[in-house]
Amino acid sequence: MTDFLFDVIATELEDAVGKENCSTRSIDKITHSVDYFWLSRMWADRGLRMPEGDFIVAPKDAKETSAVLKIANYYKIPVTTWGAGGGTQGGAIPVCGGIVLDTKRMNKIYDVNEQGMYIECGTGSIYKHIEWAANERGYATMHYPSSLTCSTVGGFLAHRGIGVSSTKYGKIDDMVLQMEVVLPNGDIIETSPAPKHAAGPDLNQIFIGSEGTLGVMTKAQMRIYEQPESRQFRGFLFQNMTDAFNAGRELLQKFKPSVMRLYDEAETATLIKKIVGVEKKGAFMNVAIEGVKEMVELEKKILLETFAKYNAEDLGSEYGEKWWKEKITFFYPGHMMDIPQCFGTMDTIAPYDKIEKIYWAMKEAIETNFPQARFIAHFSHWYEWGCMIYDRFIVDGDKVPQDPHEAFRLHQEIWNCGVRTALANGGVVNDHHGVGIKLGRLMKEQYGPAMQVFEGIKKQLDPNGIMNPFKLGL
Amino acid sequence: MQFSQKAKEHIDSCRFCWMCHHVCPIGNATGLERNTARARALGLSLVARDAIEYSEDIINNVYECTLCGGCMTDCVTGWDPVMFAKEARLGAALDGKLPEYVMTMLKNFEEKGNIYGADRNENIPEIKGGDILFFLGEDARAKGCAKVAVDVLKAAGVEFTMLKDEPNSGYSMDFLLGAAAEAKTVMETCAKTLNGYKTVVCYDPADAKVMKREYKEYGVDMNAEVVTFTEFLAGLIKDGRLNVKNCGEEFTVQDSTILARDLEETEPIREILSACGNVNEMLLNREHTVLAGNLIMNEYMPDVMEKVAQRRWFNAENAPKKATTVVTSSVADYALLATTKPEDMELLKVEEVVAKCL
Repeated sequence: MTDFLFDVIATELEDAVGKENCSTRSIDKITHSVDYFWLSRMWADRGLRMPEGDFIVAPKDAKETSAVLKIANYYKIPVTTWGAGGGTQGGAIPVCGGIVLDTKRMNKIYDVNEQGMYIECGTGSIYKHIEWAANERGYATMHYPSSLTCSTVGGFLAHRGIGVSSTKYGKIDDMVLQMEVVLPNGDIIETSPAPKHAAGPDLNQIFIGSEGTLGVMTKAQMRIYEQPESRQFRGFLFQNMTDAFNAGRELLQKFKPSVMRLYDEAETATLIKKIVGVEKKGAFMNVAIEGVKEMVELEKKILLETFAKYNAEDLGSEYGEKWWKEKITFFYPGHMMDIPQCFGTMDTIAPYDKIEKIYWAMKEAIETNFPQARFIAHFSHWYEWGCMIYDRFIVDGDKVPQDPHEAFRLHQEIWNCGVRTALANGGVVNDHHGVGIKLGRLMKEQYGPAMQVFEGIKKQLDPNGIMNPFKLGL
Repeated sequence: MQFSQKAKEHIDSCRFCWMCHHVCPIGNATGLERNTARARALGLSLVARDAIEYSEDIINNVYECTLCGGCMTDCVTGWDPVMFAKEARLGAALDGKLPEYVMTMLKNFEEKGNIYGADRNENIPEIKGGDILFFLGEDARAKGCAKVAVDVLKAAGVEFTMLKDEPNSGYSMDFLLGAAAEAKTVMETCAKTLNGYKTVVCYDPADAKVMKREYKEYGVDMNAEVVTFTEFLAGLIKDGRLNVKNCGEEFTVQDSTILARDLEETEPIREILSACGNVNEMLLNREHTVLAGNLIMNEYMPDVMEKVAQRRWFNAENAPKKATTVVTSSVADYALLATTKPEDMELLKVEEVVAKCL
């Protein structure tokens, strides 16, 4: 791009969002070039610059977003949408330069609607802020991921996020009622006024998980819930994973706890021991039951009876309560894996008939092919039909090549191995972190010819291919 | 730019951590990614690796931090973005790279004794009293008014001294330059005067903070006992020297970030307000308070400060029980909240509440 054309575009963008909301400052470019993706972190750690946007723009609403997308489409400039940058898959990295569209100015809370039990807000709102807004009225969002404080509503929607209480309250895609979306051509649309209907396919679910490749979500109505009258925790120790899966499956045919987290023996012996204090050998499981007091008492009785059938050792409430208190502590530097280690979370999901097989297959594949890596896992989002594995590989710093290109290669090889093993055994590319640039290449491997459905929608909505190029395998 | 080993460690821990994203009053007001502890750390980590220059752009970003400590309080591990921001400011000074707006304030300080370039306020009287020094501070003298505070102290029969030529505590120098020799010299000069008194009652929490913390850290000799105005006032009520009547009004505390976090003082203001009426809390209170304004930054980013204060009013309006009267003991918070006050809300200094209830 010539300097002249650069200035033409810069002034048009300034006109669209205001001069102070369109930046070409190096600090803005740098901060929007590194997200939580390990490769971007490693790159910066080695003193290298990641691909940067040319213009960092921050529209305040759908109208300004629309103006930005019209400019981008006219000049055919890539647009990468940025929430708060907490994504792990490199979905917000402007790999082709162009415009980075930061949504955080769209952080207005329009309505805490106690009648309809939702909060209407700009998608640039940090989720913790809408939790505060709910708390001020005595409600809660019940969306409690570790990134609650550092991710936006739009960020969670873009990659189908999930929180620790998902078993009872659902994923982010279960928590949204209606959305306002700006299409790549600048048209502003609204999805159906209600999320459950028979008026054709679900528009919400077309944009949720689309990672900024089909448009920009600018406003959303997110569900709120009454605070539970009672919330009780119970820790258990299983002697083997098979018993734990069977116990979990049986329990879920009877009622839905809010939290259900099973840690494999390796993670119990490391993270759970360190943060929660469980010293015993085995697979630790934490269950939380919440809601109306009488119901909670009854559910507790069913829980204890069900788990006793599978020889689970009842550890009482202490560890579970400690876990709840420390649930985010796991993710602070000093408690969490960090550079110079090489690590990744290869979360996948499958029905109960496949999930344990996937776990053992992935564990074996990683440990056999990459003896320098450790493999730990927990199972933290459960349904009546199956559950999710949050499996992680960790390579300690002394075993990670210093050369950034070699480190890059090692990282990609481990991911290919892990995800392909999951796919081969009935899993999916990802459960709740999304795809981004990290896993785009594997989407076709999962979907095969079904990928043409996504490609067709993309081609129709974004014929110039400006929206978040090379993400989601599109 | 040379960083200490400690600063490097904290910078490297914060550069890829987003956990405190939600608490930054500046980031929340501007919506800008660069106004976060992680963004600042990322930039400085690249400087430390010689990947980028310690440029004007990065330095400006370092001055976009209020040093309110929200991020530090939120961090369960104890990483400290305030520490490395201050060290980066010192580095900019040592490298001769201070931004023009900082240089202007330093020039003002040299010429007028305050960073605002304000002439001496002749309306502030000199009071000669006992061995208690009532220390107004730079912000109150240049941008505020402590007349009601003085009246309340007199009503309680407190014998105190108030200086016409009050020295500068060094708070603003510390804010702008970190642990620079110039800041230490200002503090030493101030301490010499303060040491002539038994007790120093600081009207502005910012002065109490430097006297209690930075003087010690920089090795400045300070013998006088330093007491915050709120603590002193609460003591006067408790001792019966100030007889306040409970007027039944509801008050919502805007906790000073300095009192609540740096000095861990949250209860005296509540004791005062409980004696005068009832306390109606905002959701984010005590150590989780949110800064409502910083007068030094108001010199170079007034638009942002206005937004910061507006957001705090939003918190007050959305308190579990809507606030009607917000009360603060922070000179800076008061000044910025006053300029953005919604019509249907009231803003009072803590001494104004007391004066109303005498």
